Amino acid sequence: MPTTPERSPEEGDTLTRRLATLWGVILLVCGVILALQLRHGLPTDTRLTAMLPEDRQSPLIERAADQLSTGFEERFVLALTSPSLRTDTESLARQLERTTANAQDNGSPLLDDLDWRDTDLAVEDPHDLLGDYRYRLLTDDLRNAIDDDGGESLVDPALRRLFSPAGDPQPVDDPFGLLDAWLDERDGSRIQAHDGLLTVENNGQRHALLIGRLSSHPYDPATQQALTRTLTTFMSHHPDTTLMRSGLVFHAAAGAEQAKREITTIGLGALTGLIIILLAVFRSPRVLLHLLLPLATGLLFALPLTLLIFGRLHLLTLAFGASLIGIAIDYALHLQCHRASQDSRWPIRSLLPGLTLGLISSLMAYLAQALTPLPGLRQMAVFAALGLTGAWLTVILWLSRFKLPACPHTRTLAERLWRWTTPRRQLVPSVAAAAAALLILISASSLTVDDSLQLLNPSPTSLLEEEQRVQQLMDSDTGNRFFVVEASTEGELLSRLADLGSTLTTWQDEGTSLDYDSLTRNVPPYERQDANLARVNTLYGEPLETLVQRADLPEATLERARSRLSDVPRLDLSYWLSTPLGELQQRLWLGETDNDGVAATLAISNVEDATLDGRLTELADRHESVRYVNRADHLSGLLALWREHIAWWVTLAIAALVPIMIWRYRLQAWRVLTPPVGAILGVLALFALTGTPLNVFSQLGLLLVLGIGLDAGIFSVEHARRPSAWLAITLSTLSSILAFGLLSFSKTPALHYMGLSCLTGLAIVWLLVPWSRPKAASLHRETAYVD
Amino acid sequence: MFRHWLLLPVLLPLPAVAFDLDDLQRRLGDIPGLEGRFEQQRHLADLDAQLDSHGSYRYERDARVIWQLEAPVEERMEFTPDAAENIADDEAGNRRDAQVASLFLELLGGDWQALDEHFDLSLEGSDEQWHVTLTPESSALKERLERIELRGGEFLERLELNAANDDELRIEFFEQQVIVPDSGDSGEAGHADDT
Repeated sequence: MPTTPERSPEEGDTLTRRLATLWGVILLVCGVILALQLRHGLPTDTRLTAMLPEDRQSPLIERAADQLSTGFEERFVLALTSPSLRTDTESLARQLERTTANAQDNGSPLLDDLDWRDTDLAVEDPHDLLGDYRYRLLTDDLRNAIDDDGGESLVDPALRRLFSPAGDPQPVDDPFGLLDAWLDERDGSRIQAHDGLLTVENNGQRHALLIGRLSSHPYDPATQQALTRTLTTFMSHHPDTTLMRSGLVFHAAAGAEQAKREITTIGLGALTGLIIILLAVFRSPRVLLHLLLPLATGLLFALPLTLLIFGRLHLLTLAFGASLIGIAIDYALHLQCHRASQDSRWPIRSLLPGLTLGLISSLMAYLAQALTPLPGLRQMAVFAALGLTGAWLTVILWLSRFKLPACPHTRTLAERLWRWTTPRRQLVPSVAAAAAALLILISASSLTVDDSLQLLNPSPTSLLEEEQRVQQLMDSDTGNRFFVVEASTEGELLSRLADLGSTLTTWQDEGTSLDYDSLTRNVPPYERQDANLARVNTLYGEPLETLVQRADLPEATLERARSRLSDVPRLDLSYWLSTPLGELQQRLWLGETDNDGVAATLAISNVEDATLDGRLTELADRHESVRYVNRADHLSGLLALWREHIAWWVTLAIAALVPIMIWRYRLQAWRVLTPPVGAILGVLALFALTGTPLNVFSQLGLLLVLGIGLDAGIFSVEHARRPSAWLAITLSTLSSILAFGLLSFSKTPALHYMGLSCLTGLAIVWLLVPWSRPKAASLHRETAYVD
Repeated sequence: MFRHWLLLPVLLPLPAVAFDLDDLQRRLGDIPGLEGRFEQQRHLADLDAQLDSHGSYRYERDARVIWQLEAPVEERMEFTPDAAENIADDEAGNRRDAQVASLFLELLGGDWQALDEHFDLSLEGSDEQWHVTLTPESSALKERLERIELRGGEFLERLELNAANDDELRIEFFEQQVIVPDSGDSGEAGHADDT
């Protein structure tokens, strides 16, 4: 930069010069670290749920939910329709199989697995896997048939199996086809083989299914891009096909794409606007560079350190980090406005108390959040605090050393603004207190809150509809509702699961819309397995003799078939889960618990009526060691917790600031606090009056209002006389309003609400400052603080 | 449950492609339906037992086969192309059987294209006396089936199915005659005249 460091006669100069050099070295190191971290791109995380705290009270529920959803996270389903279904499906499948996650990384394929041929879903023949256990596995129909007449009615169907040209009779192993019946009942899939493809049919329309499993996390940007690219290319080459997508990866990609696009346009928009305003005010590109330097160094300081601490950067942190534009530039603005009006060579001395207090108050507001148990909040707080500290250090150590031209226009502008915006009357404490009380009353009486998960869902409606249609086609559940069942032994666990299952089946029979997946669907409780074997023994008595006679089978068949019934092993969970079919149910198995018991999940899906949640909760309450979880409600609860935490910590931070402000400003302290507190109360009351519910993200916006409002309050009191301070406050509020005003146009709910409260809050801050700053009479005191 | 173990495709129409068995396919494909008598022998290797049966059958292209068993038990069976649900309705049928039923229909119909999806096909002999051998391609199918052989002249006359567990199924068709199925008599199994 073409500026020359000033020489100062002051004694401390050597020290500050050393510190300035040290700061340069630190930034250099940060730059190197950041370069290393960014070799593979910025490791961002777009999962809004990643910002939520872990549920420490119920790790078992957390594990159950994780297990239920991971099955889905990496999986995706494509449903393709086309006039030439076979060739198009094949071509899409080949393209997907060829896709690599990363253009440079030739070796690593995008997908672990893609099922699309009719043979792809054929796992090891379940007849071999369950053959030994078949005499303990009976379908309800078979059980009832044996109970009714000892099984005589099963002889005719068995005969048919023996003589059907399309049959596959096993007179010794399974003359009555027990296993086939069992497996058939288990196979409720709607998927049909057609033309060598996996298809589902709906309203006469045949969809080919491609079921893929990603080799990496669906939030991995390279994965998202590779998959999106392949599908877009395919669709552009096959315009007569339609494609429906289901899977987290598509939502994650859409969300990331939207958030990135918005942050880019909003960030760039804000930056462009800011540059135009600053150029208009200061009329010097050099000054502009100096003003942006704290922002750049703040980011350079905060980014690598946040990445070091947290591993990856959350997208919301980035959005929140945009707030640094407003606050980080504050310090430099005050310095430069001051310089423009005073033409002082060494202005930092008079500004240092205000700058430092501004930093300390903002740090308190942010670092208070870092103490909360919420990982998302911690990351944002750490990022903001580091960024502000970096910006502050740059202003103090570097900028104050440079002599910059002060354009006379700036001073004129500042004075004009001052004259134009200074009200005739002043706010008095009693009015301020009364107004605050009124605002609190309004907020307390009618402010509503919203913790719904919709806030976390940035997916476009069309994608959500596609998702829903594919889910319907596939009859699949989403792992949102489930029971967690605990027991001291495996046998007891199975009995409890079966109890729940039979109640749910009764409800189904009564016409309640619901489906469930339970381990006991495939592994009946042991006492039932024993009872089943006893029934088969009955069936193998007279009915088997009749069958052998009528089919004219050799006598030996009888004895050989019966001999199979001795030493029939019980089908247990560990064996079932180890089979290829059982693998699919591993998501339901939670294994050993901390108190030496075992636990499993029973997943519920297809709930159309929300009142069912109440019945399911009651059902869980009636059973020992059974808990019912509605994941959406659960997450909502966490969001609420998050929101309450923020409110609590902000209140605490303000309470802690009051004595500090009183210590420094005595009776003028209320003037410092009026802009930030007034703005926060004003936003709350506005929300209350307009019926806009408060959510965690609008509260995050209020946090920024607090930081910027405090800066404004401090500077308006510290330098009440100076139009330059007011110009700086105006500029910093304007820049933030620019950033967040644009943010309120975001389609991502989280960003929208954050922007909305920032926009209104900051406008109120700016309006309040002229009313609350000390008037001419108290100006003498102001010099007293400084000198 | 999501995954399943579908092994065989259902009967499906395919656009004609160039194929060695093209002529034979066209000729068999021209037959709208057949009825006649059958004799079936199933050899169960494990028991070293033989299950013999006989009766009459009625084949309607792309629609169904009615298998009227007369001895040793009287039993009427019906196989349809997408029979999974249809057959499951009448008790003992199950999905696996339904898939085998589909295969059975493809074999009777000489639907080489559909069969070619899962088998290696080879043709020997002449128009008057042909012999097609089908060997499974997929390992899943190989675990159950070793080989299928079809012989015939004007119509399919003999079907031999060798299972992987050494069981054998042999069906002879005779007294066959072409029928034109219509909705009127489709419910009844045709009975060919005795000689």
